[in-house]
Amino acid sequence: MTTLTYTSIEDIEKFHETARRAFDSGKTQSIEFRKDQIAQIGWLLRDNEDRWREALRADLGRHPQENDLLEFVSIYTEVNMAYKEIEKWTKAHSIGFSVNWFPMHPKYKAEPKGVALIIAPFNFPLFLLLGPLTSAIAAGNAAVLKPSEQTPATSQLLAELLPKYLDNELYHVVNGGVPETTKVLELKWDHSMYTGNGRVGRIVAAAAAKHLTPLTLELGGKNPAVVDPKVDVKMAARRLLWGRFSNAGQICLCPEYVLVPAEFQDTLVEAFTEAYQRFYPEGPEKSDSFSRIVTTAHAARIKRMLDGTKGKIVLGGQADVDNRYVAPTVVRDVPVDDVLMGEEIFGPVLPIVPVKDVDEAIAVIRAKDHPLAVYVFSTDKKFQDKVFKSTKSGAAVANETVISAGVPGLPVGGVGPSGYGYYSGKQCFEQFSHYRVSLDNPGWVDTVAFGFRFPPYKPDYKKHIGSLTGALPPRPGQKSAMKVVKRWGLWVVFALVGASSALLMKSGRFAQLKAPAQA
Amino acid sequence: MSLTYTPLDEIPNIHATARRAFLSGKTKSIVFRKRQIAQVAWMVKDNEQRFMEAMKADLGRPYQETEFFDFGIVYGESRMAYDNIEKWTKEQAPDFNPNWFLMKPRLKPEPKGVVLVIAPFNYPLFLLLVPLISAIAGGNAAVLKPPENTPVFSALLAELLPEYLDKELFHVVNGAVAETTKLLELPWDHIMYTGNGRVGRIVAEAAAKHLTPLTLELGGKNPVIVDPKVDLEMAARRIFWGRTSNAGQICLAPEYVLVPEESQAALVSAFRNFYHSFFPEGAKKSDSFGRIVTEAHAARIKNLIEQTRGTIEFGGDVDIAEKYVSPTVVSNVRADDPLMEIFGPVLAIVPVKDIDEAIAFINSRDVPLAIYVFSFDKALQKKVVDNTQSGAIMMNETLVTAGAPGLPVGGKGPGGYGYYTSKYGFDQFVHMRVSVNNPAWVDKLALWFRFPPYTVAGGKKIRSLETPLPPRPTDSESSISNTWVVLLATAVAAASSVAVLRAMERV
Repeated sequence: MTTLTYTSIEDIEKFHETARRAFDSGKTQSIEFRKDQIAQIGWLLRDNEDRWREALRADLGRHPQENDLLEFVSIYTEVNMAYKEIEKWTKAHSIGFSVNWFPMHPKYKAEPKGVALIIAPFNFPLFLLLGPLTSAIAAGNAAVLKPSEQTPATSQLLAELLPKYLDNELYHVVNGGVPETTKVLELKWDHSMYTGNGRVGRIVAAAAAKHLTPLTLELGGKNPAVVDPKVDVKMAARRLLWGRFSNAGQICLCPEYVLVPAEFQDTLVEAFTEAYQRFYPEGPEKSDSFSRIVTTAHAARIKRMLDGTKGKIVLGGQADVDNRYVAPTVVRDVPVDDVLMGEEIFGPVLPIVPVKDVDEAIAVIRAKDHPLAVYVFSTDKKFQDKVFKSTKSGAAVANETVISAGVPGLPVGGVGPSGYGYYSGKQCFEQFSHYRVSLDNPGWVDTVAFGFRFPPYKPDYKKHIGSLTGALPPRPGQKSAMKVVKRWGLWVVFALVGASSALLMKSGRFAQLKAPAQA
Repeated sequence: MSLTYTPLDEIPNIHATARRAFLSGKTKSIVFRKRQIAQVAWMVKDNEQRFMEAMKADLGRPYQETEFFDFGIVYGESRMAYDNIEKWTKEQAPDFNPNWFLMKPRLKPEPKGVVLVIAPFNYPLFLLLVPLISAIAGGNAAVLKPPENTPVFSALLAELLPEYLDKELFHVVNGAVAETTKLLELPWDHIMYTGNGRVGRIVAEAAAKHLTPLTLELGGKNPVIVDPKVDLEMAARRIFWGRTSNAGQICLAPEYVLVPEESQAALVSAFRNFYHSFFPEGAKKSDSFGRIVTEAHAARIKNLIEQTRGTIEFGGDVDIAEKYVSPTVVSNVRADDPLMEIFGPVLAIVPVKDIDEAIAFINSRDVPLAIYVFSFDKALQKKVVDNTQSGAIMMNETLVTAGAPGLPVGGKGPGGYGYYTSKYGFDQFVHMRVSVNNPAWVDKLALWFRFPPYTVAGGKKIRSLETPLPPRPTDSESSISNTWVVLLATAVAAASSVAVLRAMERV
C-alpha cells in the first residue's frame, strides 16, 4: 500500500498565497487560457488511465470497468462540456428590453470568485475533485484540492500529476488528515466546495462562516427506493442491485433501502437472488467485478450493523474486516427502526422494508431527512408522481439508480441535510462565479428622463415614478379586477399617446415613457 | 412609537405553523403563488400613504425617495415574478444527447421550504418584500424579521401582512437581539440576511449548525473613480445624489471618490453647486433630505467627522437630537482616515496620482458591493473593470442597478454572496430537482454493459459513452512540452485511425 506524503503546514499556507497571487495576476481572465487548462484535465486522465485504474484498484479494489464508467466517462463529459460551452457561459448577458433602462445598457457577466477550495471524500476521488475543478477553472478561479487521505494511492498520484499538467501557481493539491484539513479550513477562501458527511459538513460550514465564504455542500443521505408491484421486477432488481453494489455501495446516490408492499417482498427477493447470481456467478468474494470497503474501520462498522439487524439476511451477509470485504447483501423484513435504517450504511447492504402501501412508503420517507435521491420503480406515471410530489430530494429518479449524476446537463445537488448548491455543468460553473452587473448611463438621460430624482423634490414626481414602475399584477378577486382593468385602459391610452409623440420627437425622448401596459 | 415585540415562546410556534402550512402542499399551485405575489404589491399600493408616513417617521425620509426606491422596485419585482412564474417554474430538459435522451432527463425548480428573511432599517420595505416575492414565486413559506429601529414601519408591516397574505404561510416576527437569536436557533431551509458583516458572521454560524443555505448582502465601502475628462457636472450631480439619498444609508451608496489631485478642487466646486441646487434653503430645512435612523448612528457619524484629518469643504453639521447630519464633502482624505467607514451623507474625496493608483487603492481594501466609474473613455472603463472585483460596476451612474429589472443584486467576498431580485432572487429559494425515467428496454439496447460480471466487451461499450476530449493544448510555455510532441503524434495517429475505423473504440 502506498504511503501518502502529507503536505506540510507551511506549504499549505504557501499554496494558498501562491494561488491568491496567481489569481490576482489576472492570468485566468483569458478564456483561451482556461480552455487549455480544462483540456489538460482531460489529458491528465487520458494519458495516465492505467495508472489511475491501478491506484483505484489498490485503494478501493475497484474493477477498471466500474472506474471507467463512474469516473472517467463523467469527467471527460464535464471537460468536454465546459470546453465547448465556456464562451456561452462567460459572455455578458443583457436583460430583456426595457423602455426605461435600455439607454444604460444594463448587463451582467460571470466573473471568477477568486481562490476556491475543493474537498472530496474517498468514494469518487477523481470525479468529485476534477469535476468541480473543471467548473472552477471554467469560471476563472484558482483552486486548491484536498483529496481524501483514505485513498492514498490515488491522492499521491494526483499530487504527482496535477502539477505536470496544470498551471503550477494557480492549482495545488494538499494531502493530509485532520490537522492538514483544519489548517486548510482556517484560511480564507472565496468559495469552498465540500463533499462528504453532515458532521464534517457542519465543521466546514462553521469555518466558512468566520470568513463569510460561500459554500457548496454535498452530503449524501439515506436514499429510498419505492417498488410498485406492477413493475417489471427483474428490471427493478437488476438496477437496484447494480446501484447498491457498485463501488461496494460507497456512492452518495446509492439506494439505501427498498420500500415494497409486504405481499410483494417474496417476488422481489426472488428477483434479487436471480440478478445476484447473474452478477456474481462464482460468488462475490472471488468476483473481480466487486469492490472493497475503503478502510477496515468502515468494514467493521458495516459488519456491526449487519450483526445488529433484526431483519433476515437472504443474500450475502459475510464480512472479512481485515480484507475490507463486505459481501453484497440483501436483508428482508427490516423494521423501520432497525439499525440498518439509522445512519447511512454506505456499503453493499440493501435492506428491504415491507410496507402496507405507497402511502406508508411515503410516510417512511417523509419521517426521515430529505435524501439526495428518491427512486421509484413503476411504469405507472400516477404512482411515480405521487411519490415524487409528496417527497423532497435532490433527485427524483424513476426506474433507474445512481445514473442521474452521469447525465450531461443534469446538476447533482442535495436539499436540506443532503446539502446545497450544485455539481456538474453550468450550475457548477455558477457556484464558482459571481454575476457582476454593469451599466453605462449617458449624461443626456437626466435631461429627458431621470432628472426628477434629484432634490429638491417637486410635487409632480409621481408622474415620473408612475411611468417607471408600470402596472401592478391584477388584484386577486373578481370585483377589484374590474376596477383595475378600467384604470389600465386609461394607462394604455396614455402610454400610446406618449409613445407616438416620442416617435415624432425622435432623439432619445422615448426613454421617459412607459411601454403600453398589458391589460 | 414603541414596537410590540413578538413573544419569545411564540417564535417556535410561528415556525411550526409555517412548516405545517408548507407541508400541506398549498404552495404547489402556481395560481396560488401568483395571487400571493399580487397581494404583496396591493398591500403596498393600498397603503402607500401609510408606508410613506412610516418611513418619514422612522427615517425622516422624503416621500419621493420611498416611492422611488421602495415602491417602484416592489411593484416591478411583483410584476416580473407574476408574469414569469410559469417560465421560471417550468420543467427544463438539458440539451439533447443521443446517449441519454431515452431516460428523459429533466430539471425542475422546487421550493426549499420555510425561509427566513432578515432586513435592516435602510430599505426595510424593499429588502423584505422583494425577497418575499422571490420566496413566494419559489413556493416557500416565509418568516420576515423587520428591523427594530424602524418601529413605525415594522409595526405597520406586522399589521398589514396578515390582512393580505396567507396567515399560515407568511409571518412577521418583530423584536431585537433576543428575538433574532431565537429565530436563528430554528432550522430554516434558507436564510436571507441583509445587514453588516459582523451580524452576517453570526447568521452564518447559526446557519452552519443546521446546514442551512444562505444569501448574505453585506454592503461595503463603494468607491467612485472620476476621470477629469468626464462631464464633471454630470458626475457631481449623480454622485452627490447617490450619497445624499436616504441620508447616505444605502448599501450601494458611493462612499468615497478617487480623483486626480489636480482635479480635486474642480470636483469640490461642482459638489458645492449641487449642494445649493439640491437644497436651496439648506438641507436641514429641506423636505428632500432624510434623517439618520437613530441618535446613536448620528453620534457615530459626528464622531467620524470630528476625527477626520481631511478638509471639510462644506456641511459637517450634526444635530444628534434631531438625528440630522448635513450633506458633507471632505477633501484630502487619506487611506487610513477614520472617515473610510461612514453609512451617512458624508462623501470623502481621496486624491490620487492617476488611474493606476486609484485601482491599487481599491484593490488594497475589501471587495465592495459596487464600483462607480465616471468616464467617457472606454479604455479607462475597461481597465477598471478588468482589474478590480465588485458586486456591480457602473459607468457614469450610481445606485440604479438595483432598480433595473432583470439585473441581479449581489455582493462578492465581504460584500456577501447570493442574489436579490429577478430570476436570480427566485433561484435562491428553489432547489433544481433532477429526474430521469429509464425504460426497461434500454438495458437490452444499451447500458447492459454496466452490470457485473464485467467483461472486455462491456468495457469497450462503456468507452462509447465518452465524448471526445478537447484538443491537447499545444502551448509551448508548458513545462512538459518535450514529451508532448510524442504524445501529440500518438494522439493524432489515434484520432485518425478512429476516424477511419469509426465504430471501433479505444480500449
